[in-house]
Amino acid sequence: MTRYAMVMDQRRCIGCQSCTVACRTWNELPLDILYNPVVGEGVVGEFPHVHQTFTPLICMHCDNPPCTICCPCKASQQDEDGIVWVESEKCMACKACVNSCPYGARDVSALDAPLHSYVRKCNFCKDRVREGELPYCVATCHQKARIFGDLDDPNSDVSKLVNGLNTNRIFPELGTDPQVYYIPDLGGVKL
Amino acid sequence: MADTIDIHAEGVEVKKSCCYFCHQNCGVLAYVKDGKVLKIEGDPTHPTNQGGLCCRGNIALLHLDHPARINHPLRRVGAKGENKWEKIPWEQAISEIAERLNAIKAESGAEAVAGAAGTLRTDDWSRRRFFNMFGTPNVFHNALLCWIPTFMVETAVSGWSPFETDLGDSRCVILWGFNPGASAMPGMRGYSDLRKAGMKIIVVDPRYSETAAHSDLWLPLRPGSDTALALAMINVIIMESLYDEEFVNNWCVGFDELWDHVMEYTPEWASEHTWLEPELIRECARMYAKNTPSNIQWGCTADQLGKTSGAGMHARAILRALTGNLDRPGGDLMPGPSHTYVTDEELEANDWLPEEQKAKQIGANKFKMTSWPGYQMIADTARETWGKAPTAEWMCEAHGPSVFKAILTGDPYQIRALIVSATNPVNSYGDSKMTLEALKKVEFLVTCEYWMTPAAIYSDYVMPIAGALERPIVHNNYGVTDHLIASQRAIQPLYERHTDYNFWRDLALATGQDVDQWPWETLEDAFYYVTYPLNEQGYVHGSYDEFVEKYRFFYPPVHYYGYGRNGFCTPSRRVELKSSILEELGYPALPTWIGPAENEIDDPDVAKEYPLVLTTGGGFMPYHHSEQFNIQSVRFLRHEPYFTINPEKADELGIKDGDWCWIETRRGRIRQRANVEPSVDKRVIYAQRGWWYPERQIAPGAVVPDEPFGCLESNVNVLSSVDDEHCDPIGGSWANRGLLCKVYKVDYWDEVETQFSIPGSSSEPGITVPPSKQKLAYEPIPYDPKPDFEVPEGLTWDKKTKYAWDLELGLYYDKDSGWLIHPETQVYYDLYTKYAYDPTDNTLVDEATGVHYDMETRQPIGGVAPVSAPATTEGGE
Repeated sequence: MTRYAMVMDQRRCIGCQSCTVACRTWNELPLDILYNPVVGEGVVGEFPHVHQTFTPLICMHCDNPPCTICCPCKASQQDEDGIVWVESEKCMACKACVNSCPYGARDVSALDAPLHSYVRKCNFCKDRVREGELPYCVATCHQKARIFGDLDDPNSDVSKLVNGLNTNRIFPELGTDPQVYYIPDLGGVKL
Repeated sequence: MADTIDIHAEGVEVKKSCCYFCHQNCGVLAYVKDGKVLKIEGDPTHPTNQGGLCCRGNIALLHLDHPARINHPLRRVGAKGENKWEKIPWEQAISEIAERLNAIKAESGAEAVAGAAGTLRTDDWSRRRFFNMFGTPNVFHNALLCWIPTFMVETAVSGWSPFETDLGDSRCVILWGFNPGASAMPGMRGYSDLRKAGMKIIVVDPRYSETAAHSDLWLPLRPGSDTALALAMINVIIMESLYDEEFVNNWCVGFDELWDHVMEYTPEWASEHTWLEPELIRECARMYAKNTPSNIQWGCTADQLGKTSGAGMHARAILRALTGNLDRPGGDLMPGPSHTYVTDEELEANDWLPEEQKAKQIGANKFKMTSWPGYQMIADTARETWGKAPTAEWMCEAHGPSVFKAILTGDPYQIRALIVSATNPVNSYGDSKMTLEALKKVEFLVTCEYWMTPAAIYSDYVMPIAGALERPIVHNNYGVTDHLIASQRAIQPLYERHTDYNFWRDLALATGQDVDQWPWETLEDAFYYVTYPLNEQGYVHGSYDEFVEKYRFFYPPVHYYGYGRNGFCTPSRRVELKSSILEELGYPALPTWIGPAENEIDDPDVAKEYPLVLTTGGGFMPYHHSEQFNIQSVRFLRHEPYFTINPEKADELGIKDGDWCWIETRRGRIRQRANVEPSVDKRVIYAQRGWWYPERQIAPGAVVPDEPFGCLESNVNVLSSVDDEHCDPIGGSWANRGLLCKVYKVDYWDEVETQFSIPGSSSEPGITVPPSKQKLAYEPIPYDPKPDFEVPEGLTWDKKTKYAWDLELGLYYDKDSGWLIHPETQVYYDLYTKYAYDPTDNTLVDEATGVHYDMETRQPIGGVAPVSAPATTEGGE
């Protein structure tokens, strides 16, 4: 079995937002849709004892995705390899899934023609992935802060990282079982 | 749309192109079908980016056919700056420009034509080739803010500026005023990898930058005080005996003088200037000097500090030498110019520029290291050592701000025409109000551009230029390194766009230059000329495109300890800690402290009114300089300008996060929004660079505002200073960092000011002190070396060669042996009789008569034929 997952190495992320722009140009997204924003609190602490981390967000491709269950027309669905995606032809843009997603990972563009609108979300670049390539945000990341692969393959980088390091997930308490893992930056420079 | 475009479909070609939105030139694979680029992605096999692309690289397709791009040559109709244009054919535009340039040359001399450019976004050697053959020395870039003064000063001291660092084997690197986390993405990946492998990273930056967040030691110094830090580090390394004694003894000159000189520059002394704890400075010096091999990575800051810059560069060169890090494994490499492929310098045709024109270069009488006087010395020494010289484009230029001042004042002479390419001078050169006024006033202005910029709007002609994906690119670090990365164009230029090379070539031919001097019709032909010698290295190719497709890179094997063979590329063949080139040009021979352009210690009166310290010029994602502000898909990330202020100070001033505030210096004021964040000291303001508002389009027929596109509103260069007293007398860098400022909230009736003044720091509007009357930060020290021996009667002391000469016979006096020596034949002559020494019979011979004389008595040896006795002594000692 294959189970795709992503690891965000916050020790390496520098908040350049290249993934944000790359995803938007590769997928030719309208201006009001972002699949993977990079967020952070800015620099915190008291000068010069300060710290900063960045958190790249993306669809968590949950193991227990609320967005597929609530879809009335089966447009929002999950494949066997874990990728959650929306079949745009079936979608009627009712936004039930938009409301159900605790990660804000999907939305309808206000810039689409009303009758041709559908819910857009990250699909792990499934066309690329199934041809053996990496999702575009992973390929474009200069810092190699995003690692993608098959969690069920014990030799994959994601499997080694998730099983070998202390990783965090976002809102695991909601029971969605998100499949994007974060390696926290404990950081700190010597002054 | 990724679903609908199949990049693997039949007929889709993959072109090995590269990104052209900053200097990294990351590799890009372009999928092309029927002359149309379908998709681009990072090239996983490219050594620089390994598949990565940043925000800018990813928007190449949006840039390619952006609706605001200039696609046809535009000729001004109506008055200058009215924004009324007509499209004309390329050839017509070229011939009209050429006619006008020739007329100006005939009336006022070629030097009345100047050329401004930006930063590595043109085919620079062809620009220089055109201007050299045209006959003007007044060509410039933003080079003086970006590495070039560093290169020249470090080359004067140690023979080459180590641009390349052998980081793989390094144990410690100082990222000095360098934030790869926002300006060199591929580099940052490397630093993260190396740090994981154990390398120490020291970051010198007043702001808690993306890079500082990933460092082992962070030195948040007062902006502009870098030179004090460097001097104190030398002091610590010498006083604690951390220097590489063997290297210093064998390869350095002037160490004893340096020792005495830096005695006073203790960490305690530096603490006052840098605001750093002395212990922190000591720790930095120890970490750098003990973890050898170690590196100092150059950062732009070095060249943007104004009058204190030159000494800092010199001090950093000394740090590299003292620690023995030059040209060793893991150290700072000094490859010299390429010995194989054709360098940029060889394409520039510098010999075509007559000496009397070189002497007219604006700024060359003040800022000598980066103009013809200093360049000539460096180039001569380099030719002796490497056989090739560094590029003149970049390294040898007119002083840009002085050219703008010459347009306004006619001092030293009137500049009548300006050709601007790949730059938006209002945003990228210092003192924007003055620069904007110069662009408005210059008699004939041509701009080669992608967009309608504040410079383009005042032009007589705007020429459309090919961008990324439309041009082949050779990347070789300004022509001063020995490797080369080649990329091809994905498609031919769209519309009537041309490459810069074709612009300069067409203009050259139209102004009457010989077609034989411009034999390459396309840029590919010219680059094939560059790569052709690589055929001998086993890189077999029949065209430039074939080279790209088959090889793409040329990396010669790394040679360490290159100085072991020929010595260093300096006049004495040693690392000149006490630099003879600087001394000869009239600068301090040892790095001597001088404060940054404005500072609270030297200018307490200024500090009273402007109590905060401003730093500008740092890069931030997603923009590069003043570019990409027109592209929505990156502009949405940062759509408004922000300056950073410490929360404590913001509280004191009643400023809240997001408030629009004025930042004011003696030159003027700009408005940006407050980013209240503890990433800077409470005395420091960090302002973003490059801001203009291209979205404020000017409708056809509408009145053009005094500052089109809001180019003075949030532009930090309104605050920077290009006054001669603030510029570095050595390299001409003007002051972007370490300036004094104040910050206050914007009132809604406040207006943007456009009134310029020369000098910029003057409180009076207009021209109060003409440039030739302006003083430098320190006066040149007259270079007048005295002989350290008694000059014999009848001989003349020459301070250039430092020998006493017999001018009649062309012989120099060797003080050790007491003989005169012929510099070419090396024959020895008697000092008193001027007879030559004949080693075959140990006699003196009068070359005119052939009579031999006795060595001791100087009496003729009558009728004695030369004896064929074996010579017992060699030479004359």
